[in-house]
Amino acid sequence: MQGSTRRMGVMTDVHRRFLQLLMTHGVLEEWDVKRLQRHCYKVHDRNATVDKLEDFINNINSVLESLYIEIKRGVTEDDGRPIYALVNLATTSISKMATDFAENELDLFRKALELIIDSETGFASSTNILNLVDQLKGKKMRKKEAEQVLQKFVQNKWLIEKEGEFTLHGRAILEMEQYIRETYPDAVKICNICHSLLIQGQSCETCGIRMHLPCVAKYFQSNAEPRCPHCNDYWPHEIPEVFDPEKQREAGISKSNKKSLRSRQH
Amino acid sequence: MLQTPESRGLPVPQAEGEKDGGHDGETRARTASQERPKEELGAGREEGAAEPALTRKGARALAAKALARRRACRRMNRTVAELVQFLLVKDKKKSPITRSEMVKYVIGDLKALFPDIIARAAEHLRYVFGFELKQFDRKHHTYILINKLKPLEEEEEEEDLGGDGPRLGLLMMILGLIYMRGNRAREAQVWEMLHRLGMQPAKYHFLFGYPKRLIMEDFVQQRYLSYRRVPHTSPPEYEFSWGPRSNLEISKMKVLGFVAKLHKKEPQHWPVQYREALADEADRARAKARAEASMRARASARAGIHLW
Repeated sequence: MQGSTRRMGVMTDVHRRFLQLLMTHGVLEEWDVKRLQRHCYKVHDRNATVDKLEDFINNINSVLESLYIEIKRGVTEDDGRPIYALVNLATTSISKMATDFAENELDLFRKALELIIDSETGFASSTNILNLVDQLKGKKMRKKEAEQVLQKFVQNKWLIEKEGEFTLHGRAILEMEQYIRETYPDAVKICNICHSLLIQGQSCETCGIRMHLPCVAKYFQSNAEPRCPHCNDYWPHEIPEVFDPEKQREAGISKSNKKSLRSRQH
Repeated sequence: MLQTPESRGLPVPQAEGEKDGGHDGETRARTASQERPKEELGAGREEGAAEPALTRKGARALAAKALARRRACRRMNRTVAELVQFLLVKDKKKSPITRSEMVKYVIGDLKALFPDIIARAAEHLRYVFGFELKQFDRKHHTYILINKLKPLEEEEEEEDLGGDGPRLGLLMMILGLIYMRGNRAREAQVWEMLHRLGMQPAKYHFLFGYPKRLIMEDFVQQRYLSYRRVPHTSPPEYEFSWGPRSNLEISKMKVLGFVAKLHKKEPQHWPVQYREALADEADRARAKARAEASMRARASARAGIHLW
């Protein structure tokens, strides 16, 4: 994006409320974002036509550029659901967390992050994380307390917990990818298809390349004989389904506007 | 994404002008020190036109100056952006932000430029996010962010995707109680009301967490409520009143309306409180008019400094 040639977008109350609410939630799934956008129009500009989401967000991002932040779109690693978060473009890393958490809590997160990155599965067990409690900077933390801090991370959508193991929430990946790649360049795993940071995924047992589950789904879609893109060996894992927003909504919680189920896909 | 034309060879004076122009839209507050470079550049350009060749030394010096200015400008922009983010994150927790915190965590050795930095940050907050940065404690230099977007109607509120709904509802009930009791309510009265709603101070509630912590720590710390000891009471008793943030963010008329709806009556049903709410509305209208007038005056004064 070259500075002066690009026209900067215009902010109205529709955009401001959208930003405020997105910030309140931290991270939102795409269909919630669309609902949010419609809500903002309804409140501030009832008669206007709702912009296409991509244009709407690009408009806001052109204004946010000078503040070194942007609304970023990502995809959850487990099932490919699109998510949006407001992220910091400068690599001062865990800055957003820094004001919410104490020094020892931040250090606990850092330790968990390192275990997650080093792990084979992208998950770090609660036990392994808690065993590092003595090494934390700042005030001494007991294991009981550390358990609650980990729950706080889950509630604030920095970590996901599955059966006693922790991995990074999509929000954390969106926010911290750059920081993680710069801080742990040797340990970091990258997806062979999209070349982004990979925490969870599938790997080729022969040559070791890795792919995100949604990337696998898209790459091998309707391919009867999936083969590794790098070494051509048979791909031994189950191929997941490509994420379908329509199916997702039908299965989702009620209260949603029935009309939206028929609305066109982007 | 943050590329600026520094990577090209000798910077040309025009580039500086373009860059500043590009930032026009978002920042209107500028200091005199930033206007001066333009004057110098203007003079330089004229000189260049009159005498066909600036000496090499002169060109290098000019280039070095331009580079240093651009670096300082970039650093300034960076700091303003960091301050905006800092304020947003801090405000999310609703705790007031002090000037010393800002200097310690964000501004650092640009402390002397604090007024300019905070003015620019305030402008970003207003234009981009719809927040007003308000200094509500002049002595201790503490600031809060006030939401300037229009408050939501009832149906709209439901669609707001949750957020702080239940907690604010509880706060409204307490503010209502305080208001109807003549702007002060004893701690015991507040807990009695909450009892009737099925809450115990130290018992975990699925919506509010620990009510006592929510009220005593969160609401008081966030300045929605003030908590004071009642003089001449023994054993000591304490009372709640509206905190400064409540006075800024909500009006007596709104709270009276809330209470009236709860009781399925009209606000006028309580003539004393109704009169007080009307007087409060008049005060707010006057204060708003004054603020708007002074902002217009300041804007036209600032417009006078600009060279374009």
